[in-house]
Amino acid sequence: MARIVLGIFLVLLSLMPAMAEKQPYLLHVLILCFLYAIPAVGLNLMLGYAGLVSLGHMAFAGVGAYTAAVLMVDGHWDFWLALLAGVLAAGVAGAAIGAICLRFRTHFFMIVTLAFGLMLYSVMNNWDEVTRGAAGFPGIPRPAPLGGFSFGPLPNFYYLALAAALAAFAVQWIVVRSDFGRVLAALRQDERLAQAKGVNTMLYKAAVFALGSAIAGLGGVLHVSFLRVAAPATFNLAESINAVLIVIVGGAGSLAGPALGALVFVGLPEYLRAAAEWRLVVFGVILVLIVLFAPQGLAGFVKRARA
Amino acid sequence: MLSAVLEQTLNGLMAGSVYVLVALGMVLIYGVMHVLNFAHGVLLMVGAYVCHFFFVRLTGSYPLSILLSAAVLALLGIALERAVFRPLQGNLRNQVIASLGLILVFENLVIALWGPNALQMKVAATAALVPLGEMRFSVQHLLVIAVTLAVVLVLFSFLKFSKFGTAIRATSQDRMAAMVVGIPVERVDWITFGLGTALAALGGALIGPLFIVFPQMGDAPMVKGLAGILLGGMGSVPGAVIGGFIIGIAESVSTVFLPTDYRDSVAFIVMVLILLVWPRGIFGVSVRGED
Repeated sequence: MARIVLGIFLVLLSLMPAMAEKQPYLLHVLILCFLYAIPAVGLNLMLGYAGLVSLGHMAFAGVGAYTAAVLMVDGHWDFWLALLAGVLAAGVAGAAIGAICLRFRTHFFMIVTLAFGLMLYSVMNNWDEVTRGAAGFPGIPRPAPLGGFSFGPLPNFYYLALAAALAAFAVQWIVVRSDFGRVLAALRQDERLAQAKGVNTMLYKAAVFALGSAIAGLGGVLHVSFLRVAAPATFNLAESINAVLIVIVGGAGSLAGPALGALVFVGLPEYLRAAAEWRLVVFGVILVLIVLFAPQGLAGFVKRARA
Repeated sequence: MLSAVLEQTLNGLMAGSVYVLVALGMVLIYGVMHVLNFAHGVLLMVGAYVCHFFFVRLTGSYPLSILLSAAVLALLGIALERAVFRPLQGNLRNQVIASLGLILVFENLVIALWGPNALQMKVAATAALVPLGEMRFSVQHLLVIAVTLAVVLVLFSFLKFSKFGTAIRATSQDRMAAMVVGIPVERVDWITFGLGTALAALGGALIGPLFIVFPQMGDAPMVKGLAGILLGGMGSVPGAVIGGFIIGIAESVSTVFLPTDYRDSVAFIVMVLILLVWPRGIFGVSVRGED
């Protein structure tokens, strides 16, 4: 049943550019959904599966985005190489900073991730020579054509974003089903017991921090390539909070959670056409209500409806 | 150079006063309920808007508006404790996530009601400049420091000498034991929460006339108040005062030597360094239940 629904969903998504030929706006919104869902997948691995609440997640997306931007614009690198470098840079930053953050637990872990997120944001915002500062980094190219397929037009970029989102979800699926994923679940449930069983908890947590950050980096590079400009505000504290919101609303620790969360976060307000400022009020209230009454998020509702 | 350092020290005392007010509220709530309320900065901002509303639209009296704003925010804090934080007691992760939700709610509620643009709050009575040696500071500047010191003094006496203050300290030290000796810990919870949010409102109402009133004005004081708490030792009330002032002075004096763009980073770096090398802070508080 779930597979049939997933299959229909994927067919619909891949046919969307043909069906919505006259509605570039719809494609635009869906692309944004994918671009928000990708970092959320990374955070879901950390928060939902390993129990690590990072309050600076989008800063790592920024590390990836700015690395790729500098390499493409100043270094004249090819988009695909720069994308790879951006993902790697975000992953390395995640491993290095994660190694420091993971020395702390609970509240202190959250505070340190918050502090590092703000520091990285401050660098993006103030290191004018490299990041072009608060005004943003203009002139980021769309991806170079691949085998004659150009990513400039909206429908074509749609396929790239869709493919990247599917790749991120595939990674999540593989990780969760692997031994690595099972160790992460064990860490979340009882870290001391896992330790007593001989698990090097620090190594596993640093690995998931690095992986989550690398996935965030993928989302960051595509995001700035889509907008053609990198702005520090795309990677600030508010966006990191939004990432937590997407994961929790969608359902932390569920495979489909980040997709549901991003769809609701980006898609629903566009559909409802609610005034911009009220939409975040509503989402804040929803977040609090979900934490209070439905900690499994939307994915939990779907699961219960099916049961 | 020396006069620049002195000037920045006084500036730092002023900025630090606001961090102290935020840090005191957060540390009291953390001590009693073990809740780290990331929405505390946003409540400071709401306090500034409420004060602006009373001052500009209704009363025209600045002292009265400050008191009314603190009262309104105390009620808001009590409501939040009841509706959000009490049901989540003991679930650390969800309390933090709920406080993130509250940030979104209040920041955007204020934008929806007052618009995204900054408001001016001119208080004629405190705008006058006072010469202090070669330098001149506004009365408001000195008022912020004086009020904060007075509040700290009153709060310390309250915690130290009053019966209810003693109950608050007892609950922070050991909630279970406090219950056993008959302290009404739930009443301690909501009163402490209301007290904490009233202190945040006071901070917002005091810096409103110095700068501008805008939706993100609470973000920096929250982070820096948090840095002050860590510096003083998580859970220590005197530590929050000393830590808040140190952060304020350190970042102000840093502008003499470093580009001002990086002023904010001083607090972040202090936070991480303190946690790494000196996790118990200057007052050496042992942290309970951090598991």
